[in-house]
Amino acid sequence: MELSSIVSLFILALSPMVPLLLGSVGEIIIEKAGVVNIGIEGVFLLSALTSAMVSFFTGSLPLAIFVGVITGLGVGAIFAVIGVYLRGDQIVAGVGINLLAYGIGVIALFKTWNVFGASPPVATIPKWVVAGHGVSPMAPISVIIAVLAWFFLFRTNTGLKLRACGEEPRAAEAMGVNVMRMRLLATMLGSSLMGLAGAYLSIDWVGQFTRQITAGRGFIALANVAFSGWNPITAIVGAFIFGFFEALAIYLSISYAQPTLGYVFRTIPYIGTLLVVMIFRSRGRAPAALAKPYIKE
Amino acid sequence: MRSEKLASWRLIEYTTIAVEITGSIALGLVVAGSILALLGYDPARGIFLLVFGGLRNPDYLLSRAAFIAMTALAFSIPLLAGVFNIGGEGQMYLGGLAALLAAVYSGNAAVAILAGGLAGAALGLIIGALKAYRDVNEVVSAIMLNLTLFYVIVYAITAELYDPVAPHESIKVPKGARLGVIRFGGLKLHIIFPLMLALVAVAYYLLYHTKLGYEIRASGFSPKAARYAGIDPKKTSVYSMVIGGFFAGVGGALNVVGFTYYIDNLLTCMYGMGFTGIGVALMGRNNPIGVALASIFFSMLVLGGSRMQMLMRVPKEVADTLSGVIIVALSLPYAYRMLISYIRIRRMVGVGAEQHS
Repeated sequence: MELSSIVSLFILALSPMVPLLLGSVGEIIIEKAGVVNIGIEGVFLLSALTSAMVSFFTGSLPLAIFVGVITGLGVGAIFAVIGVYLRGDQIVAGVGINLLAYGIGVIALFKTWNVFGASPPVATIPKWVVAGHGVSPMAPISVIIAVLAWFFLFRTNTGLKLRACGEEPRAAEAMGVNVMRMRLLATMLGSSLMGLAGAYLSIDWVGQFTRQITAGRGFIALANVAFSGWNPITAIVGAFIFGFFEALAIYLSISYAQPTLGYVFRTIPYIGTLLVVMIFRSRGRAPAALAKPYIKE
Repeated sequence: MRSEKLASWRLIEYTTIAVEITGSIALGLVVAGSILALLGYDPARGIFLLVFGGLRNPDYLLSRAAFIAMTALAFSIPLLAGVFNIGGEGQMYLGGLAALLAAVYSGNAAVAILAGGLAGAALGLIIGALKAYRDVNEVVSAIMLNLTLFYVIVYAITAELYDPVAPHESIKVPKGARLGVIRFGGLKLHIIFPLMLALVAVAYYLLYHTKLGYEIRASGFSPKAARYAGIDPKKTSVYSMVIGGFFAGVGGALNVVGFTYYIDNLLTCMYGMGFTGIGVALMGRNNPIGVALASIFFSMLVLGGSRMQMLMRVPKEVADTLSGVIIVALSLPYAYRMLISYIRIRRMVGVGAEQHS
């Protein structure tokens, strides 16, 4: 492989990195507060849908991004009510939300555009051109968000309280923190970042909404959470590595334009993710009270 | 006195289960109805078709129930041991492929079913062992395997195993390796449904009448207590995944050698059944007998969805939405318990107030 194609691969990896990074950072914030949301995929899908619709009908990108983020916030709020206040099983609820989101996505595609598979193209965020490849401004923005999330979690007072809710909720309560409300707010904040990732998928990277737009990325982001050891800065590296597999798949399908082989290339991100999580044991430790409902005495 | 207390406790327990299940279904139907109304369709007709549309073809209804009962067991058995197997989808795909190949090479249905089961079990072993010994989140590894297998099998069928006469289909299961159909007069029933009932009975026996079944339930209930009792909860969780994967693989095999006799190039004959199985398992409260009953209900929804799509031109995915809501609602046992105790307290307070006045 020539040097130029290696450079190409690295630039190509920035596009898949964005949703993986935003999804992982969102999930880290949620998990640090003691809640596990495996409905990342569902949030991605619903936000991608609402953003695509707003972009299609209004052409306003800021509004489309805003609506995508708000969609994530809303789903996060519903999820937190189920998982925190009603003490629902968080894994089961997450599986349900993913299924629900998939159904809504297909129904909305049909109702809005009268199609079953993919929407018409929508207005997208303009890209920078770097070495002949388009790079979205969202790439550096997502990295900045990850750094800010690290600062928030590990260097601010609120971040400390949030982490206390995930490690020792009783102690947090004794400190005067309202554990349930903190978990609700953390879930809403984290899900908004997932909503931003969803918006990025449809109105930036792909440029349309399709029923399979998420393609398991929500779960790769989940893999990255444990890989990063629940650290948003390490998550940048992880998102780039996992994004690299996807770039490799894209690169190979372009180089060997043969539809049947394309199916084989599409497995690269999934096999790559599986191998990485098998080989590298997470050094970090999951929050002690993860997915355990908090019962106030 | 004691038996009276026990009886009243049982009554509360059964009421809770009944409220949980009917409440979840009702909530699901309300959401599905609202979506239909929002889209401008007649919600009453839509819901009617969704729930009862599948009854038109009882044979197909029960056959599909057989497949999703298998993926439901694939979810339930590991869950009883404390592991979330959302890999039933991929285990079913691989089981179907293994069964197809085994049927073609051996010409024997029993060999094909066994091959399907073993393929599913191997996947279960991978997910379970990674979880137990490498701390890999089973949700992540299961989804990665589901997606990988989907594309690998699509590739296998498109590039290698396609039928030259019908290129969207794989080579066919030879006649001698196909499971039969039972006929009573004009009615027919694929043999896979009675086979499913037999497999459910096996699962029930395994869980409630064998040492391994006891160990699985004990490890899930309290790993710490299980360890004190000399059980290795990690090893047990791996066994539970192997058994769960086996059932999902058998489900794929039953599909291929018992119903479709081939795999289509987009896996539509199996697609989504792993996830429907999760709903089935939860509604069946992880009990094999409950699973058998719930599988028929979910099969009604899936078939009803297709019927609704045909008659009303509404995407059949309304059924997915409905299953999603039902799954979310079934995640909330505590909420139902709260509701029931609230009503009971209200009633007691009411009775007390009446006695005082």
